[in-house]
Amino acid sequence: MFCPKCGSQNSDTAGFCASCGAPLKPAANTGGSYGAPPPPPPPPPNYGGTGVKPKNWLVESILVTILCCLPFGIAGIVNATKVDSKYAAGDYAGAEQASQEAAKWTKIGFFVGIGVSVIYLIWMVAMGGMAAMQGGY
Amino acid sequence: MAGLALVVYFLFDPSASGIFPKCPFLLLTGLKCPGCGSQRALHALLHLQIGRAFRENPMLVLSVPYLFTALLFFLKKEKNEKWQAADDLLFRGKAVWVILVLVLAFWLLRNIF
Repeated sequence: MFCPKCGSQNSDTAGFCASCGAPLKPAANTGGSYGAPPPPPPPPPNYGGTGVKPKNWLVESILVTILCCLPFGIAGIVNATKVDSKYAAGDYAGAEQASQEAAKWTKIGFFVGIGVSVIYLIWMVAMGGMAAMQGGY
Repeated sequence: MAGLALVVYFLFDPSASGIFPKCPFLLLTGLKCPGCGSQRALHALLHLQIGRAFRENPMLVLSVPYLFTALLFFLKKEKNEKWQAADDLLFRGKAVWVILVLVLAFWLLRNIF
């Protein structure tokens, strides 16, 4: 690097100019007269370095909406819209977060659906499921 | 597990048998949710009665080809550019909004008419 004060060449690791003694490290530069170095570039979006869009859980949300009789699937679809819009806007962390939200609602819907069905079945068996099976209502 | 469920839905008609769970949303609110009728529609579909399935829950019938397409895209491992573009078009971005609007509209309209 070159000394910002006298212009003589110094090694890149030198803290002070070998010629005039001026500080070379940016931290020592408080005057700002020769300009602070540009800040380091923001870290690149990190998806394991592949740039893959986070899963939007759309299809799972649709399945929950149709099969579970519970509006949790809708919450999943709403978050699916956020995954893609945030990803398109460059908000990778937000997209990842929306993906996890979508996953959460889809799973809640799925397990609540299964749970209600199982409880219902147990209840029906306890009430005499055979009679209900033959009864035509 | 899923296969067993399909056999049960083939053998028993949910509209004639009491063993099937009722929609909790319908029981609580008296309003139909987007999934109401899907058990009866599934039973009808498994008997290839498309018209009857459509009357029970049109959204389920319409979603079947879409879901099979999704399965196809899921199973396709090596996607070239055309596949990737089709994937984005069908299951990403604007498509998600279209589906959200369709589901909400269906939910609203089936409780009005």
